[in-house]
Amino acid sequence: MEAVTGWWDDFFWGSLVVVGVFVVALVMTVLFGLIGSAAKLSKSRTAQRIAGAYTIVFRGTPEILVLLLFYFGSAIALTAIAQVFDPEVKFVDIPPFWAGSFAIALIVGSYATETFRGAFLGVDPGQVEAARALGLSNLKTFIYVRIPAMWRLALPPFGNHMLSLIKDTALISIIGLEETLFVAEQAIGTTGKPFTMFIVVGAIYLGFSTIITLSVMVLERYANRHLEVAR
Amino acid sequence: MSFDFALIVDSIPKMLMGIGLTLELLFLSGILGLTLAIVLLLMRISGRWYLAAPTMVYIYIFRGTPILVQIFIIYHGLPQLDFVRESIFWPIFREPYGCAIIALTLNTGAYVSEILRGGVLGVGRDLKEAGAALGLSVRHRFMYITAPIAIRLCLPAYSNDVISLMKSTALVSTITLLDMMGIARTIVAETYAPYEVFISLMFIYLILTWIIQRTFGWTEKRLSRHVRSEA
Repeated sequence: MEAVTGWWDDFFWGSLVVVGVFVVALVMTVLFGLIGSAAKLSKSRTAQRIAGAYTIVFRGTPEILVLLLFYFGSAIALTAIAQVFDPEVKFVDIPPFWAGSFAIALIVGSYATETFRGAFLGVDPGQVEAARALGLSNLKTFIYVRIPAMWRLALPPFGNHMLSLIKDTALISIIGLEETLFVAEQAIGTTGKPFTMFIVVGAIYLGFSTIITLSVMVLERYANRHLEVAR
Repeated sequence: MSFDFALIVDSIPKMLMGIGLTLELLFLSGILGLTLAIVLLLMRISGRWYLAAPTMVYIYIFRGTPILVQIFIIYHGLPQLDFVRESIFWPIFREPYGCAIIALTLNTGAYVSEILRGGVLGVGRDLKEAGAALGLSVRHRFMYITAPIAIRLCLPAYSNDVISLMKSTALVSTITLLDMMGIARTIVAETYAPYEVFISLMFIYLILTWIIQRTFGWTEKRLSRHVRSEA
C-alpha cells in the first residue's frame, strides 16, 4: 500500500471529477427521462415513435460505443464547422467531461424514460381528475400532483439508474477524462503497481455506490413519509 | 464532412469477423456466470450465516464497482502478485481472452444471483406449504415447486441481464481483444470516420439485442403456456 502514498491527492481530485460528471449527468438523465416519458405518453404518434427509437437504440448498444461515437463524432462535426470559418483550424473537440457526461446521460436517460413512464402510469387517475376538478392548470397538475405521486414509484428503480450512472463514469477515462481510473493508469506508469492502484479505484467506486444506496434509502423514507403502508 | 457509404459496405464485413468472439464471450461467460449465480443463490438461501455472509459481500463488491475496473484489476492487476504468476492458472490469467471470460463471469454471476433470488422470493408461501403438507422434503420442494416457478418469474429480468452482458463484452476491446468493438476502433483509428463505422456497428448490436429479446420472449411464452391469463 505504501506505493499509493504519493498519489492520494491525485486520487482525491480524480474522485471530484467523478462526482462532477455524476452530478451533471444526473441532471441531464432526469431531463431526458422526463422528456422521453412525456413523449411516450403523449398523443402524438411522431413523438411516441421518436421516444421509442431513442429507448431502443440507447438500451440496445454498448455504452462504450455510444461514448466513442459521441466524442469522435462531435469532434469531426465541430472541426468541419470550424474550418468553414477558419480553414487553418486542424482539430476541435468537445471536452471529454461534457462529451462523456452527455453520452452516459443519454444512455441512462433511456432507462429512466421507461421507469418514469411506468411511474406516471401508476399515478392514480382519480388524483389527476381531482386536480382538474379543483381547476388546476395542466402545468400545475403536473408539478403538484403527478410529480410528487410519481417519484415515490420511480425512486427504487431510479436508485439503480444512479448506480449505473456512477459506474459508467469509469468509461470516460477511455476518452481521456482525468478521473480515478486515469489517475491509476498514470500512477502505474511510475510505480509499476497495477493491482494496488486499480484496487484503490475499485474501493473509491464502492464508496460512491454505498453512499448512493444509503441516500436512496433515506429519500425513499422521505418520499413515503405520508404513507402508513410503507412503515 | 460527408457520409462515406463505400466505407460502410467495406467495414461491416470486417467488423462481422469479430462477431464470433463477441458471441463466444457472451455464451461462455453467460453459462459460467449462470452456474456461479446458482451456487451463490444456494449459499445465500441456505440459512447458514457462514455461507450467506460471503455471498452478500461478494455481490456487494461486484455490483458496486464498474465492470471496466474489474476487467483492469484482473488483466493488468493480478500479474503484479507473485502467487498468481506462479499458480497453475497463470496460462489463463496471462491471456486477455481468459481474463475477459473470468471478469465477465464474476460480474454477471453477482447480478444474476440477485435476479434468481428475486424469483425464489416471489414464489408464494402457500405453494411451498402445500408441498410440505404433501410430505415433500426440503430439497424436493425446491426442485419441483420453487425452482420451476422461480425460473418463470425471473426470466424477464434475466433477459435484461443477458443483454447487458452482451453490451459488456464490448469492453474487452480495452484489453487488446479484437471483438466487433475492437475491430471498429481499429478501423476508426485508420480511417478517422467514426460516424460511418460506429453507427453501422450500432445496428449490428441492435440486431443482436433484438434476437436475444425475441428468444427470451418466446421462451417466456412457452414456459407460461399453462398459466391462465388474468385478463
